[in-house]
Amino acid sequence: MTATNRKASDGQEIERVIDTSPIPLLEEVQSKGRVWEDLAAQYGVTNPDPPWKITLEATCDLLAGDSCVKFHEEIEEGSCALPALERRAEEDDLSETIYEEVPFPERQLLALAHSMIRRGLLDEQELARRMEQVGQRLNSA
Amino acid sequence: MADHDHKPAPMVDEVSDFEILELAVRELAIEKGLFSAEDHRVWTEYVHTLGPLPAARLVAKAWLDPEYKKLCEEDGVEASKAVGIDWVMTPPTHFGTPSDYCNLRVLVDTPKLKHVVVCTLCSCYPRPILGQSPEWYRTPNYRRRLVRWPRQVLSEFGMQLPEDVEVRVADSNQKTRYIVMPVRPEGTEGWTEDQLAEIVTRDCLIGVALPKPGITSNAKRPVLKAKNPVHHDH
Repeated sequence: MTATNRKASDGQEIERVIDTSPIPLLEEVQSKGRVWEDLAAQYGVTNPDPPWKITLEATCDLLAGDSCVKFHEEIEEGSCALPALERRAEEDDLSETIYEEVPFPERQLLALAHSMIRRGLLDEQELARRMEQVGQRLNSA
Repeated sequence: MADHDHKPAPMVDEVSDFEILELAVRELAIEKGLFSAEDHRVWTEYVHTLGPLPAARLVAKAWLDPEYKKLCEEDGVEASKAVGIDWVMTPPTHFGTPSDYCNLRVLVDTPKLKHVVVCTLCSCYPRPILGQSPEWYRTPNYRRRLVRWPRQVLSEFGMQLPEDVEVRVADSNQKTRYIVMPVRPEGTEGWTEDQLAEIVTRDCLIGVALPKPGITSNAKRPVLKAKNPVHHDH
């Protein structure tokens, strides 16, 4: 477990705890998944970002609800699924540890899934099953 | 008859596990009621429209119009309307955005004063007027070192500032976002607003680059890792 504190802009300490031990499903994505910078180079695509980057950003924003317009201490517990500041802090922790070698934005995606699993917003087995189904759908053409 | 002479743009003809993971996470979040599919669609469409051009135009306009420059300094949100950005009404919520609080400050450089923007806490960024933040802006390395050694970090971006130029670092937060209005460079006398806007790149607006005739894109920057993480065990 890694526990870290950091100061908010108003000087208040924000405590956060994220379990940075590996999650098997995400380890597999990390080892088998092909990152955009490799795919783009192989196929001669010049867009610097994968097409799913915008939808990932939108997912992060919507999980944060109104937390980005309120000070951290004003957010009522349970009012949003994953406050932006906590997600970003956890992404920082995970990016410096188990996802250190993963490029951006793949790293942001792995960190989001990691945070959601550790918080119980997603179940690892359920996510694995859904990935199986989504993979079949996307590869059916 | 359609003209089939042109070559289609290259595409990635392969589904990656990351693409699958992104969609699987999103579908499950929607099914669990964490947000709705419609909200996600509307928000994605809005985010797609964002980019650095309105901020570049704001600076170009201000370079040409002293009255507008004054407005930029006094009320960045009001000044944004002249370049098509209404921080309150343009987003789908019609009361600002969940992630981009509606307060913009325009930091005006002078020959003896250079501003540069960071978010030490996470990666707050004036997205409605500047689009998505670049990767290096999000890294702990940039966020930690810029506030401690701004001249050193700026020099890594290729900006060597004389000793007599004061550097001010603006730390973005939940309530306030910033863009930098650099000094209009020499060699742009008689230029139109369109010409001027072209040289005001994203990096100029963050404050890590200076506008220069002929330079219309951002330099590629390697992403550095933080050497001294600030974590503490409990």
